[in-house]
Amino acid sequence: MDNISLVSKVSNSPILWLLCGITVGLSVIQAILYMRQCNKTTAQISLDPSIPKKAFRVGLISAIGPAMGVFIVMVGLMASIGGPMSWLRLSIIGAAATELSAANMGAEACGAALGSQDYTLMCLAVSWFGMALNGAGWLLFTGVATPSLDKLRTKISGGDMTWLVILSGACSLGIFGYLNAGEIMKGTGNTIAVVAGAISMVLLMNTICKKYPKLKEYSLGFAMIIGMFFSVLFDQII
Amino acid sequence: MNEKEVLAQWKKSSIRIGSPTNILAALTAFIPVLWLCTKYDCWPPLSTVLTAWGLIAASFGAFYVVEPISYYASLGLSGTYLGFLSGNIGNMRVPCASLALDVTESQPGTIRAEIVSTMAICGSIITNLIATTSAVIIGGAVLSVLPAFIVDGLTKYASAAIFGATFGNFATKYPSIAIFAIAIPILLKLFTGFSAALVIICTVFGTLLIARAMYKKGIVK
Repeated sequence: MDNISLVSKVSNSPILWLLCGITVGLSVIQAILYMRQCNKTTAQISLDPSIPKKAFRVGLISAIGPAMGVFIVMVGLMASIGGPMSWLRLSIIGAAATELSAANMGAEACGAALGSQDYTLMCLAVSWFGMALNGAGWLLFTGVATPSLDKLRTKISGGDMTWLVILSGACSLGIFGYLNAGEIMKGTGNTIAVVAGAISMVLLMNTICKKYPKLKEYSLGFAMIIGMFFSVLFDQII
Repeated sequence: MNEKEVLAQWKKSSIRIGSPTNILAALTAFIPVLWLCTKYDCWPPLSTVLTAWGLIAASFGAFYVVEPISYYASLGLSGTYLGFLSGNIGNMRVPCASLALDVTESQPGTIRAEIVSTMAICGSIITNLIATTSAVIIGGAVLSVLPAFIVDGLTKYASAAIFGATFGNFATKYPSIAIFAIAIPILLKLFTGFSAALVIICTVFGTLLIARAMYKKGIVK
């Protein structure tokens, strides 16, 4: 059997679903533990139980849009790194682009291109080590340093609650300013998606959603569709 | 129990859940590759793995630290554990959490906000898991029937539209801060050769400093 089909056969071995499932399962267990903690605390502070439920629904619904993007990217990723690994990597930290670069750098260190005839099982192992080591960077840092991040925030806020709210807003603006700048630099199509997404979200939140607050939960999904619509339209016209 | 005690207890148990699970996941993620090497006896030389690690760390290493710091204010304590274990932070977790805060009218930094953003992130994790799992089962079939422009739109523009929408929503609350938040990274990318991680640091902390100055002067409240 040549290397290409051997690598593809091995990276889709049925038992890998189980082995990758351990980590995917861990992320589900963590989410369940946190939901239990939320329930307990909701009762403790006698918060209206409909509020956490509503928040859960907002997460569930608003994630549909971006998850459709993940769905499609995943189908592409499966072709290059196999089904089980794509499932593992996209269910935990790491976006498709990050994982593909890690896999490629592993291949490069091995002296073969990903998916080529020279890409042996050993190279596959280097790619997989690369992805696991890369993911471990974020997981270990947050696993160890998150309590210090909380102290850092408390220190920067200095106990001033008004400032803390602005601080959170400013940090989010900063990080999304960065993410949007990256998209804008990619070209006109992406810039249109950013601008149309931003304008439609602002309009939705301040007009229709003011009148029908129930629709707020769907606003992000609508804004995403509108943003994409204008970009695709632009691509079709040009 | 007063709110302060509840918040302290919340933090303690959030750490007790999040810290071991994230560290454990870093380890269990190696199980597939260990199986591969053992089963097919294809252990790569240590030097090759180290070379790969070096290449990867040079590109991503700074993000391991910069991203958790930058996202912390929007994710909160439990949200940081959840977000960095489940990934898709910018395009999914933060947008969901901040919309949930808006919908439920919760103030950041309060216990209510912690509960709301945690629940929203948990909800989004379920959706993401359904998406990745169904991609495995029906992905190929769905992709072959979807028109090319939809596939193209989703792969190229979904993130951009979400980033724009989330930014727009924050920008209506603090328009004067938003101008700097978008201008700083664009200028840095155009006129400096800064690495991506350095651009994030300058953007987040630059925006934070400007916000602080505006707050002191009473321009934002």
